[in-house]
Amino acid sequence: MKAQVIFCLLFFLALIRQPLDAQQFVTDNGKVTFISKASLSEFEGKSNLLQGVVDLDKNLLDFYLDLNTIKTGIGLRDRHMRENYLETKKFPFAEFSGKIQDIPTLEIGQEKSVRAKGKFKIHGVEREIEVPGKLKKLNEQELSLSADFKVLLSDYNISIPKVMFYELAEEQIVIIDAVLKKK
Amino acid sequence: MDKKILLTLFLICWISMSFAQLERKLANESQTVDLIFHAPRNINLLTVEPLDNNTLHFSIMHTFGTLDGGLQNLFGLDNGAVIQLSFEYAFNENFSLGATRQSRDKVYNLYSRYHLLKQTHDDKIPFSLSFMAGAGVNTADYRFLQNDNPSFSERSSFAFQVMAGRRFTEKLSLQLSPMMAYFVDPNPIFLIEGDQNLYLALGFSGKYKISGKSSLTMQWIPNLNNDLRNNIGFGIDLEAGGHVFQMYFVTSQLLNEQYLLAGGNGAPGDQFRLGFNVNRVFATGKKKSTW
Repeated sequence: MKAQVIFCLLFFLALIRQPLDAQQFVTDNGKVTFISKASLSEFEGKSNLLQGVVDLDKNLLDFYLDLNTIKTGIGLRDRHMRENYLETKKFPFAEFSGKIQDIPTLEIGQEKSVRAKGKFKIHGVEREIEVPGKLKKLNEQELSLSADFKVLLSDYNISIPKVMFYELAEEQIVIIDAVLKKK
Repeated sequence: MDKKILLTLFLICWISMSFAQLERKLANESQTVDLIFHAPRNINLLTVEPLDNNTLHFSIMHTFGTLDGGLQNLFGLDNGAVIQLSFEYAFNENFSLGATRQSRDKVYNLYSRYHLLKQTHDDKIPFSLSFMAGAGVNTADYRFLQNDNPSFSERSSFAFQVMAGRRFTEKLSLQLSPMMAYFVDPNPIFLIEGDQNLYLALGFSGKYKISGKSSLTMQWIPNLNNDLRNNIGFGIDLEAGGHVFQMYFVTSQLLNEQYLLAGGNGAPGDQFRLGFNVNRVFATGKKKSTW
């Protein structure tokens, strides 16, 4: 009986220990680009403060971006974006949490296509999305991740300005590019 | 007993296995509050609203005759407008230089605005504080006065004001602006009602947002050291097509800071006048122009 308890203890300890040498990669400076391609004007919003974690053992992806950090190059447009469209005071983050479908075995220097499925949340609206992306193990310590997907603003209750000096496209292309380091 | 230990261990394990999401944190808790006012102007008064680096703000301001002429005079629009053209260029996000030209008395004015404090979301800085200083010259033609034609210095006037503004809620922003104007020689030939050199006043500006792109606005400028009527105005700001349109009813027909204080607001009982400003910002020095 005592041996059993000790065995169980060791077993659980082993389980607890596991995350320490897990395949967990994190970033706090991922790049995000939003491209708005309307018929008359095209512009980009950029931030390099994407926060994220990729855990290959537990198959978990979690990313978020403080939308206040997006810059489009025109201060007034940024202010309108925060104030009228994204309403960052109320909804400061864009978030994605999900899983990779079929985790590939990663070898150093090799790029693998993956699909992530999960919940994307912006402007207080959460939706299930599927994102194609690429994973590459740069070395034992670093993992690079890139992905792009489309976001329809109307899906997230973001109204499009009708009379503005910049035309905002209904469909925004989101490009993510991050190098994650082993924790 | 053993079961309890096992259960606790299992729970600890399960919690550590279920692994929480990243904690959501703002990149900058002390982010500057946006758009305390829609534009660097609110009705007639300058605001704490800064301009971005290397941008040029252009404002064209008008006031018309009193409303009492009714439809016959199209509510004052027939009675000739006082127009002020205003350009303000921001050298950095805290300092800008401006030049205006008011049609009444053909006054050219140079001014600067400096933003010392900017309100932040976490209230570490609870309000925005800006300063304005300006100097102007009346260039009207007084040659008919012959020897009494005022000299350049006699035509000069100066303005100084401090602006303290705060966005109290998503909707309500208020600004308090102690103001002063000084005329070197308040010549009666000038189109002002005051006859003193120094004018002190306290400006109150308000903005109440009624939708994403429009706000109700007000201004009240009680005079502190003279018997001129106090300036009252209220209006609406509309953002459209990159412009901010400001339509208002106001008691004074004058637009530059010195004339706003010394120019007077007519006799008690005089009606309001219609006025409007069109504000526009131009970005300069950018390679890729997107608009």
